[in-house]
Amino acid sequence: MQIGVIFDCKEFAVFDGPGMRQTIFLKGCPLRCSWCHNPEGLCRQPQLMVSRASCTDCGRCRQVCTHETCIACGACVPVCPLHLRKIAGETVTAEELAERIRKNGDYYARYGGGVTFSGGEPLMQADFLLAVLQRLPGIHRAIETSGYCEPAVFETIASELDFVIMDIKLFDAEQHKRYTGVDNERILRNVKLLCGGEKPFVIRIPVIPGVNDTEENYRKTAAFLSGAKALLRVEFLPYHKTAGAKYGMAGMQYSPDFDPEGSIFISQKIFEEYGIRSEVL
Amino acid sequence: MRERIRKMRDFFVTQKGQRAYWKPPEDEYRLAREYAAAQLPATDRSAQRLKDVLDREEPVLFPGERIAFTRTVQTVPEIFTKEELEELKKSHWIHEKGDVCNISVDYARLLNVGLIPKRNELTARMQAWEKEGKREKAHYCELQISILDSVLALAERYRKKAVQEGNETVARTLARVPAYAPESFLEALQMFRILHFVMWCGRNYHNTVGRFDQYMYPWLMRDMEKGLYDEESALELIEEFFLSFNRDSDLYPGMQQGDNGQSMVLGGLNEDGSDSYNLLSELCLRASLELRLIDPKINLRVHKDTPMETYVLGSTLTKQGLGFPQYSNDDVVIPGLLELGYEKKDAYNYVVAACWEFIIPGTAMDIPNIEALSFTRAVSEAVEDALSACADFEAFYGQVKRNIVGQADELCERVKNVYLFPAPFVSLMMEGCTENAADISEGCHYNNYGFHGTGIATAADSLAAIKKYVFEEKKVDAEELKRALARDFEGDEALCNLLRWEAPKMGNDDDYVDGIACRLVADFADALQGRKNDRGGIFRAGTGSAMYYVWHAKDMPATPDGRHKGEGLGCNYSPSLFSRCNGPVSIVQSFSKPDLRRAINGGPLTLELHDTVFRTPESVEKVAMLVKSFMDLGGHQLQLNAVNRDTMLEAQKHPENYRNLIVRVWGWSGYFVELDKEYQDHIIRRMELAV
Repeated sequence: MQIGVIFDCKEFAVFDGPGMRQTIFLKGCPLRCSWCHNPEGLCRQPQLMVSRASCTDCGRCRQVCTHETCIACGACVPVCPLHLRKIAGETVTAEELAERIRKNGDYYARYGGGVTFSGGEPLMQADFLLAVLQRLPGIHRAIETSGYCEPAVFETIASELDFVIMDIKLFDAEQHKRYTGVDNERILRNVKLLCGGEKPFVIRIPVIPGVNDTEENYRKTAAFLSGAKALLRVEFLPYHKTAGAKYGMAGMQYSPDFDPEGSIFISQKIFEEYGIRSEVL
Repeated sequence: MRERIRKMRDFFVTQKGQRAYWKPPEDEYRLAREYAAAQLPATDRSAQRLKDVLDREEPVLFPGERIAFTRTVQTVPEIFTKEELEELKKSHWIHEKGDVCNISVDYARLLNVGLIPKRNELTARMQAWEKEGKREKAHYCELQISILDSVLALAERYRKKAVQEGNETVARTLARVPAYAPESFLEALQMFRILHFVMWCGRNYHNTVGRFDQYMYPWLMRDMEKGLYDEESALELIEEFFLSFNRDSDLYPGMQQGDNGQSMVLGGLNEDGSDSYNLLSELCLRASLELRLIDPKINLRVHKDTPMETYVLGSTLTKQGLGFPQYSNDDVVIPGLLELGYEKKDAYNYVVAACWEFIIPGTAMDIPNIEALSFTRAVSEAVEDALSACADFEAFYGQVKRNIVGQADELCERVKNVYLFPAPFVSLMMEGCTENAADISEGCHYNNYGFHGTGIATAADSLAAIKKYVFEEKKVDAEELKRALARDFEGDEALCNLLRWEAPKMGNDDDYVDGIACRLVADFADALQGRKNDRGGIFRAGTGSAMYYVWHAKDMPATPDGRHKGEGLGCNYSPSLFSRCNGPVSIVQSFSKPDLRRAINGGPLTLELHDTVFRTPESVEKVAMLVKSFMDLGGHQLQLNAVNRDTMLEAQKHPENYRNLIVRVWGWSGYFVELDKEYQDHIIRRMELAV
């Protein structure tokens, strides 16, 4: 029995693929991009999230706590009078999750959509993801991924998908490692697989001020993608200042290693030169 | 938007330049005292008051305008003194201000005829009544004739002014209308403007616009065939016309600024199954899209074959943040109206009243907002009176149902002997009134009353919590719950948390609680079925709330869904304010489960979507799909908002920077900064749940 950890199910995800979709967020990610806006998606284990802004410090959560350090047991969740605490991370079997997705499968199908797996990094739970995908006959399945995994694994998963949304965060290998913590060699190999195939895909570039918003980065990316038949478009996702909003809730510090206030440079023209359609989200 | 429209919009809406022409406010009871002293009959008072206002109106023309008529008289005087009104209230139900309001007149009855031919008809009728010895009826015709004379005289003053100022367009238009039936689209729009203007001068309010795209279409088509307009120039004229709804609206009566009932209905099924959506419907949507004004309030009639492009255009309008269009589903509303006994031709011709209530133009003196049933109170009182004694949930629900019937009894009893102030001018546009020299205030073909139904989610959530925790899991003792509610959960925080955060909530596609909501809607409809009001009409059940969502919440003690005493109820047909729903898809699924053909007094599912959802054309299309899905699932009415809570908080802090921020309040949109803080805060609460 395949077991996985998810941290959210979002209805009506309008930017996650064609038609009306539900998006499932899988927990855990091998990358550590400092602009990440889903900090609760980083570690695989369930964790406590607290909305501290409205906390009145009534102390009820402390009264029920029996642990030195938090183990995400959830004892403090129901006692909060303002419902400010929750456990991010739910352990589910592949069948349970598939069942949940199938429940509204017809609804989403009727409006040209289906399900999208996001994260965290969904490929980090590849076996689980595969088991879920195989249980969704007739449902349009998409993924939103960093593409960071073994090409063999990627191919297996991709063969079960109808649509792929993948990031090329930074083209330069060294820079990529510096800002995301991992090498981009595998990622680009997986992009190449998509470029040579027929599965429709979209490439996303999170536009981070002073990190990847350069002419050079765009040009290299565009050249790399040039000629890919199944590439629908490139989407720019401008950095948003609210990216840090959830760090406090997760008990983490948001410390971007770039200037979040900096202005950003976007060039759709460069992609146009390579015959690639692009859109700013 | 063309430059001249932009300038006019700026002048009338932003600068409010027309205010410079307002006469000073006057003593509201000036006429009432005279009338009382002379012991004048009410119909005479109403006619004389209208003439008084019209006769004192002074023509104002603004440079370059093609559609004239702007109010200068600020105060429309009362026709009864305070004492007389108090006396009337002793023996009658006075609805709101007492005036005929919130109906939809058949403008074509004057528009297609012209006031001079109408005057001739009335003169002939007057003579006929006299011959029959029916003095009163003859006198009624005489009053109507004298009103038409005042309208014609005012139009003539306007025409002369136009000649004087060299505005040839207005001068030419007024040489034809309102005296005779319009021959061009421009004349038709000008004549509508005059008719609408006169209604407001007679203190009739919530003067709806009805199926404008239907009754105006022939004129537009004729002019377009003649080559007088192309789509763009027609759009420009429609925009200028739309501005006229925003000129005098600060003078219109309403609960809050913006609550003026100028609702327009576009599209809709014809009896033969074809769609009446036409070029004018499309142009009206586009005009509203460009102008971004709260009036007229756009309603879109849809059905299973409505093309996605129409929903997309509607959603693009929603993106503007106006809070409309509001959608109504012909596939549910028409069968619902037929079941209530409306004739086929009328059911297919339905429009909405000021907010959302489904009414019939020209033939209905329905009062669809006469009172409201509180679902929450039905539950709350059942807990108090019967919970401890009930062996199981069914027994308890039986008490809730009896309470619903009890409230229905009470409401039906309360709204007896309605007295409406006579409205001789409005009567000219209602079926049978001219033929019988009868005033619309005394009734029309349909005389049905409608009750809103408030707090359905709070009631269903409360019942679900009781079912689960008191009867099934036996986790909570009935007495303990009653005590906790009586103390507003003081000392029972754990219980409150359980009820508030853990219990099933309507809006999550959970049959456990949604099934209860289905029963509540059906039981409300059942409780009214077969009853007659004393005007021979029926009673209709609805899912709207209007301002009752505030009123009904104020004195309501804590409820078993974990709601604290005094905490608000959801607006209209929507989830409770603190329930965390899975998302809009679940909300749409939950709220389409009840048989809404039985809630045909109307009341929209209200959804708030964060404005970022509208960012790209593709995502706007998905919003359109969401709307369509509610209709496909059997929803009756939907209204959605593009919202951003941060913007509203900023607007509270710096209202001067947010004069144009428009929000949906209950059945209408208004300027956020002009609302009372109480309503602003409620809207911000709602935003917190935006998905």
